[in-house]
Amino acid sequence: MFTKFFYTCKNKGLNITLKEWLSLIEALDKGLCTSSLTQFYYVSRMILVKSETDYDKFDRAFEETFKGIRSENEVTKAMLRWLDKSEMLDMVSEQDRYRMNEQDGLFHDLDKDDIESKFKQRLRDQDSEHNGGSFWIGSMGKTYFGNMGGNAGGIRVGGSTGYQTAFQVIGAKKYADFRDDRIIDNRQFQMALRKLRQFSSKLDIPKTELDINGTIDKTCNNGGCLQIVMEKPRKNAVKLLLLMDSGGTMIPYSTLLNELFQSVHRSNHYKDVKTYYFHNCIYSHLYKTPECENGEWIETEWMFRNLDSDYKVIIVGDAAMAPEELYSDTGNYRGPNNGLSGYEWLLLMKKHYKKIVWMNPKMAPGHAPWREAETAVKEMFPMYKLTVRGLNQAMSTLMVNK
Amino acid sequence: MAEKFNSTKEYVASEELMSAVNVAIALQKPLLIKGEPGTGKTMLAEAVSKSLGKDLIIWNIKSTTKAQDGLYMYDTIQRLYDGQFGEEGVDDIGHYIKLGKLGEAFTHDEQVVLLIDEIDKADLEFPNDLLWELDQMEFYIHETKETITAKHRPVVIITSNAEKELPDAFLRRCIFHYIDFPDEELMREIVRVHYPDVEEHLLKNAMDVFYDIRSMKDIRKKPSTSELIDWINALMIGGISADRLRQELPFVGVIVKKDEDLETVRSNVH
Repeated sequence: MFTKFFYTCKNKGLNITLKEWLSLIEALDKGLCTSSLTQFYYVSRMILVKSETDYDKFDRAFEETFKGIRSENEVTKAMLRWLDKSEMLDMVSEQDRYRMNEQDGLFHDLDKDDIESKFKQRLRDQDSEHNGGSFWIGSMGKTYFGNMGGNAGGIRVGGSTGYQTAFQVIGAKKYADFRDDRIIDNRQFQMALRKLRQFSSKLDIPKTELDINGTIDKTCNNGGCLQIVMEKPRKNAVKLLLLMDSGGTMIPYSTLLNELFQSVHRSNHYKDVKTYYFHNCIYSHLYKTPECENGEWIETEWMFRNLDSDYKVIIVGDAAMAPEELYSDTGNYRGPNNGLSGYEWLLLMKKHYKKIVWMNPKMAPGHAPWREAETAVKEMFPMYKLTVRGLNQAMSTLMVNK
Repeated sequence: MAEKFNSTKEYVASEELMSAVNVAIALQKPLLIKGEPGTGKTMLAEAVSKSLGKDLIIWNIKSTTKAQDGLYMYDTIQRLYDGQFGEEGVDDIGHYIKLGKLGEAFTHDEQVVLLIDEIDKADLEFPNDLLWELDQMEFYIHETKETITAKHRPVVIITSNAEKELPDAFLRRCIFHYIDFPDEELMREIVRVHYPDVEEHLLKNAMDVFYDIRSMKDIRKKPSTSELIDWINALMIGGISADRLRQELPFVGVIVKKDEDLETVRSNVH
């Protein structure tokens, strides 16, 4: 009976397995949903959905199956953008809007069904931005739909409220904030990062493991009377230095970088993790925050002094510098160069740290002449594409002994 | 269902949450609770155990916790030492097997509520290592060739702060509930449960400031329910009058913990 619901959920991108579905059937069998739709909604959600990020998808699947509402009245992103006129709210006085409505006599006689059906029709037909009008969905107009309008009652679409009288707020789903359609699973990144392991027992931690050889020796020396020797457990000794480009060309990849950053920080098996940011290329200073504000930085030479050459370095960037940014000793247009070009600073990095990999989110194959900088960087450091596979390869490179 | 979970005197649960608990009990599946810090995830287990009149066993997870720790420990070293001097009972391995929290819950004479707190703190593989034990409610002790089976299937509640993502195989076996941040009405009820005689005016002003702070975009750590409760307590003890609250922000350190946030709050709340 509910099989259609199962497939609708799947179509909306919810990853539901048969086992979970059977659990829901079992719950229905046991009468846990009583006979109310709300209760059924809660029960099916708690069994089928395992992350609050998917609540929104579930809501839409549920609505489609049980209310017969087709997705045709989904408010498109473009429309929400036309309607985002929050800065104009201060420009119109309430009185103006009130007067506008008074004149048309639209203030009374709201018929909800009528408005809804008109709204659906406009959603289908509208293809551009309209503000202040009286027919299309737009801002500050006097139709029943849109936002910041003078109309009392109606459907608000995105934006902020004018009179706070809309009876239905479309595009303001409760769990919409949680939605993420990101494909790469943070977990896969974390698994890749786990490859960075180098066990050592020279760390400063309590002795909690039995040293079998030591115990046998001591016991024998002790004339057969047992004497137990404990040793320090072997711990990962890998120290990681993460340098991230946060220049303008990297903005499209911010979610991806965020995933990587979080994966690194959630992997609590490293001895030490340090993260700094740079803008386009590494120069005399590295920034402490992704905003790259001058002053909020450390000197690159300070890093050389304090983070020894054992640190394994992951540089993340698109290596899309202009040639002068890389080769000129005044090429850094945001901060000081300190007499060296970006290229020379990169060479210093290579000289100081034994293991460096460069992760590039948009690496193109081959050596195109218009990507001169990328080619030059590729020759200096092993470069990998920032994907799960690329990260796996990079981790192997970091671990190999030359 | 014989027993049902209801809000207790100390704990206000939303309708959704109550039904999540009851469904989990009826389907005999672990209940996974996620939500912002300070929304009362851990307190839920206490409330459930109280409301159902069952004992509560808490297994606190740390970054070093292994799945095995929850089942049992074999104290080999003690046995070796005892063996040296031929003490009594050395030949009985069972003597040196100590059950962990999960083992304790299985062997309890009555049904218990088992709280596995902050499961995401542990290693990535941790939840996977517990799949069989939580599914079948049994585990095998190699040393004594003994299988420990749950006498009464415990009610398992698992909390997560979403610090790590949990494996799919584990999630499939759970009932999931996300504790939403309470709206003002529910929050009022929650505060009243803790401090029934709080002055209405003070409560209103404190909550206004609290929600103002939460709505600031550039705040780094949003204050949580438990912090609001502490703050109201501090205000009551300090005898702060409600009218001075917004201007002076007394004891604001109770709800705002970061230096940067303190500055933001001071410059924005008037």
